Amino acid sequence: MDSALIPKGVQRCSLGKFTLFIGAVSAVLLWGVYAMLLCWLKGLNQTNMNDYYGFALWIWADLAVIALGGGAFFTGFLRYIVGKNELKNIINYAVLIGFICYSSALLILAIDIGQPLRGWFIFWHANVHSMLTEVAFCLSCYFGVLTIEYIPLVLENRQLNKVPFFHNLAHNMHEVMAVFAATGAFLSFFHQGSLGGVAGVLFGRPFAYREGVFIWPWTFFLFTWSAAAYGPCFTLSLTKLLEKVSGKKLVKDNVVELLAKISGWMIITYIIAKIADTWYWAAVTAPEGGFTLMDFYSNNPLYGIWILVLEIVIGGIIPGLILITETGRKNKFLLITAIILACIGVSVNRWVMVLQVMAVPVMSFDIWAMYIPSWQEVATTILPVAYGVILVALSYRYLPIFPQERELNPITD
Amino acid sequence: MSKAQEHNKAKKYGMVIDLDKCTGCGACMVACMAENNVPFKKDESDKLLSITWMKVYKLTNGKDFPDADICYLPRPCQHCEGQHSGHSPCVSVCPATATDYSTDTGIVSQIYTRCFGCRYCMAACPYHARHFNWWDPVWPAGMEKMLSPDVSVRMRGIVEKCSFCFHRYQRAKDKAYMEDRRELEEHEYQTACTQACPAGAIIFGDLNNPDHEVHKIAQPDPGHHGRPKNPNAFRLLERLGTNPKVYYLSSREWVRKAGDNYLKTEKINKH
Amino acid sequence: MKIDRRSFLSLGVGAGAGIALSPLPWKLTDDSSIWTQMWPWTPVPRDGAVNYVNTASTICSGGCGLSVRKIDDRAVKVEGLKGYPGSNGNACIHCMAGIQMLYSPNAVKSPMKRTGKRGEGKWQPISWDEAISETAKKLGELRESGKASTLACILNSDYGTIPALFKQFLNAFGSPNFMRTPSYQDAYEMTLALMHQTDSMAVFDAENADFVLSFGSGIIDGWGSSVRMFKANSSWKEKNVKLVQIEPRLSNTAAKSDQWLPVNPGTELILALGIAHVIITESLYNKDFVEKYAEGFEDWTDNEGNKQKGFKNFVLEGYSPSYAARVTGIEANTIVKLAKDFAGASAPLALCGRGQGTTPGSIHEFMAVHALNALVGNINKKGGIWAMPKPDYIKWEQAKLDDTAREGLKVPRADGAGTEKFPHAKYLLTRLPEVINSAKESPIQALFVSGANPAYTLPDTKAVAKAFASIPFIVSFTSHMDETAEMADIILPNHGHFERYEDIPAPPGYNKPVVGLARPVISPQHNTRHVGDTLIAIAGKLGGTIAESFPWKSYEECLEKTMGENWTSIQESGVITNPDYEAPGWDTAFETSSKKFAFIPGNHNPGNNSLQIPVIEGNDNYRLTLIPYDSMRLAAGPVGNTPFVTKTVSEKVLKGNDICIEINPKTAEKYGLKQGQYAILTTPKGKAKVKTELSPGIMPDIIAMPRGLGHTGIDEYLAGKGININELIGPVEDPASGLDAAWGIKADLVKA
Repeated sequence: MDSALIPKGVQRCSLGKFTLFIGAVSAVLLWGVYAMLLCWLKGLNQTNMNDYYGFALWIWADLAVIALGGGAFFTGFLRYIVGKNELKNIINYAVLIGFICYSSALLILAIDIGQPLRGWFIFWHANVHSMLTEVAFCLSCYFGVLTIEYIPLVLENRQLNKVPFFHNLAHNMHEVMAVFAATGAFLSFFHQGSLGGVAGVLFGRPFAYREGVFIWPWTFFLFTWSAAAYGPCFTLSLTKLLEKVSGKKLVKDNVVELLAKISGWMIITYIIAKIADTWYWAAVTAPEGGFTLMDFYSNNPLYGIWILVLEIVIGGIIPGLILITETGRKNKFLLITAIILACIGVSVNRWVMVLQVMAVPVMSFDIWAMYIPSWQEVATTILPVAYGVILVALSYRYLPIFPQERELNPITD
Repeated sequence: MSKAQEHNKAKKYGMVIDLDKCTGCGACMVACMAENNVPFKKDESDKLLSITWMKVYKLTNGKDFPDADICYLPRPCQHCEGQHSGHSPCVSVCPATATDYSTDTGIVSQIYTRCFGCRYCMAACPYHARHFNWWDPVWPAGMEKMLSPDVSVRMRGIVEKCSFCFHRYQRAKDKAYMEDRRELEEHEYQTACTQACPAGAIIFGDLNNPDHEVHKIAQPDPGHHGRPKNPNAFRLLERLGTNPKVYYLSSREWVRKAGDNYLKTEKINKH
Repeated sequence: MKIDRRSFLSLGVGAGAGIALSPLPWKLTDDSSIWTQMWPWTPVPRDGAVNYVNTASTICSGGCGLSVRKIDDRAVKVEGLKGYPGSNGNACIHCMAGIQMLYSPNAVKSPMKRTGKRGEGKWQPISWDEAISETAKKLGELRESGKASTLACILNSDYGTIPALFKQFLNAFGSPNFMRTPSYQDAYEMTLALMHQTDSMAVFDAENADFVLSFGSGIIDGWGSSVRMFKANSSWKEKNVKLVQIEPRLSNTAAKSDQWLPVNPGTELILALGIAHVIITESLYNKDFVEKYAEGFEDWTDNEGNKQKGFKNFVLEGYSPSYAARVTGIEANTIVKLAKDFAGASAPLALCGRGQGTTPGSIHEFMAVHALNALVGNINKKGGIWAMPKPDYIKWEQAKLDDTAREGLKVPRADGAGTEKFPHAKYLLTRLPEVINSAKESPIQALFVSGANPAYTLPDTKAVAKAFASIPFIVSFTSHMDETAEMADIILPNHGHFERYEDIPAPPGYNKPVVGLARPVISPQHNTRHVGDTLIAIAGKLGGTIAESFPWKSYEECLEKTMGENWTSIQESGVITNPDYEAPGWDTAFETSSKKFAFIPGNHNPGNNSLQIPVIEGNDNYRLTLIPYDSMRLAAGPVGNTPFVTKTVSEKVLKGNDICIEINPKTAEKYGLKQGQYAILTTPKGKAKVKTELSPGIMPDIIAMPRGLGHTGIDEYLAGKGININELIGPVEDPASGLDAAWGIKADLVKA
């Protein structure tokens, strides 16, 4: 029935099946929307956040999706600036994921603030010294850039493309995409960094605080670097997931391997920097405030040193090593393991920089604060996931996201 | 220094709280709530959801019976100055300039109508001096009569904190102005908790003014961002460089030591 | 079709762009943010003219002088009144939050009559005329049936015009049963009656003491006049005055003391005698006082020629430091050192009355502690304990008595006070429930309760409720729906505490004569009436000699006439006091036949019998001992906590609706209990679900529970939170005095 909308030369499941799938995901989406409305109408008392835990689950999700969505800017950077042309075969998908991640991030922020109707004060009464202001500006601008990058994709829909204006617009936009990709990369470098800065500048919180250069703590650079390093792994893992779901190969191995290799080297270099940072923090910065490393990882029921091992070794060194070796990249199991571990690694990092920062007591007589999210928080955090799934499904069905799909999956009959 | 210059000299209002005298009675907390229209709920036993501009912590020395000891520590907003003027942990991070550091008074302000509730300042404050309005404030029928017009009632979804009773400063300034005076006497501007403390444990004044009690007791060292020279005085988390304006006094070493964190290998280095 | 869609799209895009470029979205965005800044449901306090009204507190027991900040006709903030004796410029936490009580939605808004069963909470508002007529009718019937003596009045004080009006009423009516709620003042008054033979109050020149030995008195936990004691404590810190605190739990007072001596609870009496032993053996006592101004120190021969043992030999024979050490758990050399330090100070002061002093305690303990003050000669001296005459400014004509009244007044008091068994006791309210419950017909047939909340504050709540159930007619004069009002038949609501006049004499323990004036800060918010006016009206309705005994048109007139020439000055300054008052010297202080201090009062010689530690209830099947503790942040008296004050209560005391019980970590481990766990607390009196709070500040095998929680009434910010310890603890009758000597009860705690 909707075959006229489906790109030429590719096969899609029946509309009924598709509708059923979208229906199921929409139910989850509606649940999230309901929770979101509760938070807006009744206030943030719907969450289990408190005065100690002012940042919680969804802010972690926010930071995590931005880090994972970092695949967009970095792949764009590689494709348009560095000139890795093979990556044109995955850039559309990377942009789509980036678009989803960033729009989700903005939505989460709109739910997270206590006065959503005054959210724009961050621009109007901006305090330029605040990392969050930097985040807000860069995030919004970059979201604009991602929209601009996503629009030509939409316009390439079979029917829309028939409209000459849209056709020409899409074409022209593609022509100048390098400019936007560059702008996007620049903005992204900044706001990924400012997100890192958000925690790193908290000099009242020795767990988060890092020294750095000028106004930027080391976490500023580590966040940018880690988003660039781990973001492609997320793009890859979602590509693999989509391939699994659709039962089709969508991107050629050489493209995947190239991105995996770059990601691997980025992870390895990042993790070296991260270890150096952790060492300096544990040996110098924290002790100056009177803390030892283990103060941050003991006397509480959850936050143990295992977190550091999970983040640095299991989610960093191991995937990095797998991805930089050719055998690792070529072995399907190892590759999948590595990109999943990498996604976990960066998510743990963001979790630590948000939630554990809140949990660690600073005053000697204070308590470890424990927190369990309420269902409203969980639902609101899942909301963007459902939204993302729907947008991927729609885009995949109706837009030519994967240029290599036709070649890799010729229609035989 | 000329007389005019002296008059224009910036104030640095601060507090000295004598923990030897503090009885933990809670009068400061109630005085603060009544003065500042702080809301209350049916259940306030979850202290992480309880708005207390002034909160009295109970410190323990960690020893077993019969060597156990306790000490109460009232914690208002510390009105940190940071390492350079106004670089307090919270002011530096607020994205919307809803909280600000006044270089005239040293008071960290909070603009309720500008705050949009991102709570970044709460994450930044190691003293948990900032509280979020998770709920709409509700006074039971009839009790809204007790609300003071000097302090606006805060709406849901924003952050609030101790203001050193800034409205009292304004009131005192207005009065002085009407009497054609520029300067305030020490007693003219006192916070509600200072005034209320039945043990006389809280002292408030201008740390820059050598005639004021706070200056005399704390003896802030200008060379070290106001670090107290009085050997019995300390500030909370001195080592983090927050440069707070609330000083504490205690004759007990374990209490002074509880003000900061120390490595096991460190000796408490009291200047 | 194609064109349609296209034009539709263009139109849509065009409209969108148009709207975006118009001021509309920006205006709406701006408006919505402005709306959030003045949400109609967020109250905006009305502005107005500022004025202050000075008054004295009727809500706390400490006698705070208050200055209430008003905006037009609204009271907005309570502050301390400068210059007021004792509290001088400050107010206690309960007074500071007092406005919440004033404007409480749970204030009783008009006279009410019970319609449902007792305690069911069904009430019908009635008119004042109806309420007074009905009350007078019930009382008239009592008199007619010859039961005048069965009317009782329970108040929280017996000083001032309000208690005097009730006493006047009872006298004219014909009942001896005026009762004051129990406190340590009962024991101190009796101690002075025995050892000085004076009818006086024990007051303390605390500020001038230079060594303070406190037998469990919560000096900074609300004992005496709380604000005054805080100030005294601060002055001790400045002057390096040593404070030694003797109690089994690390209270705030113990923590702030220079030396905390955790004593086996209940054995303070023995410790005091042990200290006396050292002072006598080492001859450290004040010879001038003991030899010239005291009797009963050495053995003597009485009028009948019998040898009587004096205090010296009584102590020397029975209470050596090693014996005291064994009983109290405090090492003998600590006792010796303490005794030497105490006796060596120039103005040493020994105090007693546990916690806030809400229970009287053992009379022998009070006498032993008082004997310590006598040994060091610090009675009626600077920095010592003074026996100060009770307020005597009320000089009314005595009540006029008719025959019924005369007959009624001959009947012995229902609580047994002043009878042959307890000749020195004035009020024994804690005995009353048992007396009522064991009688076939309650000796109390009608009860007035004003300013007190016995259904909550008396030990053994169940027995109290049972006793109240068998009193046919209960009238409450409360202005708030408290637990006693819940059991009443009629409520005749008094004006709120900032709506009425009242004289507030004698802040507890304050060593200068003081009469403060509570006065209306705001006009009454509800259809209430001053309790004095109500009483005058009831008397008028009863007519005859009763009406004649109340020669005033209104309470205000009564107060004005009572104050006489002082009325103007008390109105101006809010207080009458005599800062120059000095206690009488040793030569005139004592009213015994020899005009000397009696170490051993004549009819009170323990002889060869050793003094008994009051035995608390419960057998050895209970493995632990439960003791109550007091906190400034919990009002345990007739007035409950206001929301602000409850907000200050630690989560280690009250968590949700659960009360936390302090237990030593070692004891907890021994009985398999962990921190923050639910446990069932059992005592001979009852059972309760509690939470454990491990605290190294309490003696092993002792558990402590705060007073002031477990209200069923007051308001929704307090009701249902925690457990009232009086449900778990019963009174223990001191055989020597009849007063409640309970300091704890046997208890058990097991995992729930």
